Amino acid sequence: MSVLSADLVIATAIAYVGLLFLIAYMGDSRTRSRSGGFLRSPFVYTLSISVYCTSWTFYGAVGSAARSGLEYLAIYLGPTIVFIGWWFILRRLVRISHEQRITSIADLLSSRFGKSSRLAVLVTVIAVIAIAPYIALQLKAVTSSIQAIAGTSEFSRGRLEGIDEVGLALGVAAGMALFTILFGTRNVDAKEQHHGVVAAIAFEAVVKLTALIAVGVFVIYIGGGLEEIFSNAEQTGVDIYSTDTFGERWVAMNLLSFAAIICLPRQFQITVVENSDENHLRTASWAFPLYMLAMSLFTLPIAIYGLVAMPAGANPDMFVLTLPLSAGQEGLALFAFIGGFSSATSMIIVESIALSIMVSNHIVMPIVLRWAADKRVGDGRGVSQLLLSSRRFSIILILGLGFLYFCFTRDSDALAPIGLISFAGVAQFLPAIIAALFWREATIKAATAAIAVGFIVWAWSSFLPSFETSSPTVAAIMAQGPWGLSWLRPEALFGLDGFDPLVHAVFWSLFLNTATLAIISLLTNQSALERLQANLFINVFGRGGRGQAFMRGSATANDLFFVAQRVLGDERATSIFGQEARESGRIWSNLEPTPAFIGRLERELAGSIGAASAHVMLSKVVSGDAISLEEVMQMADETQQAIEYSLKLEKTSAELRSTAEQLAIANRQLREVDQQKDEFLSQVSHEVRTPMTAIRAFSEILLDSAELQPAEREKFISTIHKESLRLTTLLDEILDLSALERGERGWENQPVDAEAALDQAVHVCDALARQRAMEIVFAERAPSATVAADPNRLSQVLINLINNAIKYNGAENPVVTISSRIEGGFYLVEVSDNGPGVVKADREKIFHKFYRGRRIGIAQTGAGLGLAISREIVSRMKGSLELVPQPGRGACFRVMLPLLQVGTVAAPGPSKPIPPDARRSVDAAPRSLSES
Amino acid sequence: MDRGKLESAALLLTIAGVLLIVPPLVQIFQWRQRLLGVPVEVIYLFLVWAGLVIGARALARRMPHDPEPPGEGGSGQ
Repeated sequence: MSVLSADLVIATAIAYVGLLFLIAYMGDSRTRSRSGGFLRSPFVYTLSISVYCTSWTFYGAVGSAARSGLEYLAIYLGPTIVFIGWWFILRRLVRISHEQRITSIADLLSSRFGKSSRLAVLVTVIAVIAIAPYIALQLKAVTSSIQAIAGTSEFSRGRLEGIDEVGLALGVAAGMALFTILFGTRNVDAKEQHHGVVAAIAFEAVVKLTALIAVGVFVIYIGGGLEEIFSNAEQTGVDIYSTDTFGERWVAMNLLSFAAIICLPRQFQITVVENSDENHLRTASWAFPLYMLAMSLFTLPIAIYGLVAMPAGANPDMFVLTLPLSAGQEGLALFAFIGGFSSATSMIIVESIALSIMVSNHIVMPIVLRWAADKRVGDGRGVSQLLLSSRRFSIILILGLGFLYFCFTRDSDALAPIGLISFAGVAQFLPAIIAALFWREATIKAATAAIAVGFIVWAWSSFLPSFETSSPTVAAIMAQGPWGLSWLRPEALFGLDGFDPLVHAVFWSLFLNTATLAIISLLTNQSALERLQANLFINVFGRGGRGQAFMRGSATANDLFFVAQRVLGDERATSIFGQEARESGRIWSNLEPTPAFIGRLERELAGSIGAASAHVMLSKVVSGDAISLEEVMQMADETQQAIEYSLKLEKTSAELRSTAEQLAIANRQLREVDQQKDEFLSQVSHEVRTPMTAIRAFSEILLDSAELQPAEREKFISTIHKESLRLTTLLDEILDLSALERGERGWENQPVDAEAALDQAVHVCDALARQRAMEIVFAERAPSATVAADPNRLSQVLINLINNAIKYNGAENPVVTISSRIEGGFYLVEVSDNGPGVVKADREKIFHKFYRGRRIGIAQTGAGLGLAISREIVSRMKGSLELVPQPGRGACFRVMLPLLQVGTVAAPGPSKPIPPDARRSVDAAPRSLSES
Repeated sequence: MDRGKLESAALLLTIAGVLLIVPPLVQIFQWRQRLLGVPVEVIYLFLVWAGLVIGARALARRMPHDPEPPGEGGSGQ
């Protein structure tokens, strides 16, 4: 037996509303007296954003979780993404709206697209229609919750006796309308901010969160913990796993909720228009997702437990209420009811305030302005008063539409699908908003067409089908298509059949919407004002982001004051004009309407009646507007072009400079190379000339003196032979080096055991060492090392180094030390001697061609090409040859070769025959060194 | 960190958030098993959510402050 009667429930609700009113009143007076610091804190801002969590969240999410599992989370994950990415979209929206005094989403779009009234009207109409289902959802939730809590007993219906669902909903709608009018339309604020309402909404956010958590904790307690709840559900056959959840419907819902948190008029109102400090977004960026997380934490356990504990056929949307009721927890149930009521009232209040601002600014005001074209609107207070009454009328209209939608569709049972229809409707603004923020070329015609196309497709494929149960005509269209055109069936447009209706509608509407926006933008041109506004929007964080003033003309200060007074009221107009008079240092009556002042006035007016209306209103007073606007636009454009041009020039001249520098470097290098070539030629000639002179001299002696002794003749001939051999070797080396340097010779590295090559080289040099009574000593040796090399060439290098060490060692006890090791992926061979070493200045030069080191006391022989060739060879094997500094006497040459990693070089094929020229040069090298 | 890096980090966090909640990644966690009594995919989604909140909080304090627009700072009331 329930002790909760309908009378008690309704009385509680009314008392709660009274409390809200008190909070709002106190909030307003506190901010007015500037003592309401707390009300301007980022946390109040964050809490007020949670107007996103309506009774759909409070009741519907549990129903949705019971019917289709985790799907309900998508409604909160989309907004989470928007808020953690606040830097990219929300921050821009807030800044633009502050600078342009934007009052609503219709105002934003109209302002960006050249202050177009037509677009503002379109957006307003669409928003009003698209929100109707959402309002209906709240009415339905409140009605159902009253019935659920009070309808448990025959005797507790009290005054509800004899009132059906529709009557109850009508009562709720009327109460809400009255409440919202009292709340939100007491005055016209310059910035369209409602501090009192925000305070009340923040309070409601706390109430609904606490209520839902209380129910959640209670359910977990009576359910025996999470483990118990889920186990029981699994045993009774409830599918607790989200088998089909993460499909296209999941993606579509995430996308919709992403769009909704930006495009819903009430979210725009709270997040953007009511924002008093941009930095509050920083806190909201993480705190609002956290709030939603807390809101949805207990949804699933409540749903799962409800499915098990409640009788079959119980409405899962009402589990939050019926679970405590069935456990006899009347107090908790009443608290939960207040929580749900909170979420519904906050949504309705803010949504209808936001919509009423749109309707009055973009539909009523333009009509009045047109009507007043010939006779100016009466006295000064006229417009203010007119604005307020048109807002009140709009609120009644909006709630009326919601109520109508409720009546037509009350047979459909679930809450969540109704909400999604609204989401899909307002999502049609998203492409235009994104384009407004990021795409300079988007045009007014494109935006208007895109939103219209998106709206039509949405209305056909999403809005219309919701009347299926109440209208036979709609049902017929759903089944066969209009006039039997089956490709126009609302849930299978253009033959796209078999999709979830929501996914189908979202896809077609947003796809055609975006495509229209993109294509028409490319085909049409922007007007001057559009270009100006586009620049302001896109460069909002750039320099001089504020709007330029562009009107000048014949207006007098009196005309302007009259306009300001009509819209803003006496007090505010006086303060603006007073400030201007102070700043310009003129007396009031002699005030010059400068373009800057007119621009500022327009922004102030826009704060009250929207950008488009403000623009129309001022242009009526300020004549010559269009021409001067074009002029200013041209000026702005020219400045822009000049900036771009000078940037381009700067860039080009920088490029030129760098090209010139590169050319100079190349020239210097060329000259160096040329000089090297000359030096090389003269060196070669010199080298060739010495043996040639000897040969010539000896052969002349042989030719001239007939009576030479045979022994002498033999000696001369052998000298000639020796010299010509030396000549040949020299020419061979030169050819070899130039071929190496030019990379002419085919070079193939193959895996080679470097240690074997070293052994072989030592073996070859052994004879020479013995001849000079020298010792070749091995220090540490690497075990074995495979490198990629040409084996003959490697031997050539090693032999050359060892030979040099032997030949140029003038020590008393000459020793050549050879060591090899593996270090950090490299194979290292060091050949060192205890000779005189290399003079510091010669360290690098000894690798140059024909350079002979100044080795003290040792006869220089050889052409001086050995080290140059060796270095070239080693570099072709990707290694390095250098002279390493060594303590004490002697020189130490180090060859460093990268170890072969398996697989880096193609596997060695069947051992290839060594090319003849390679063989020759390897033969030549030792010879040249040992012979000289 | 400089402005460019912070903005990149914010973008990265946002993109990561999107990728982690849409298929195919989210489907990986449909194990048909329970952790602490709750299906694994539920735990996964709430953990991602909490991670995003923590990441956003860490970034929100560090993001650079934009210069106030020039001219009248707020309408004189």
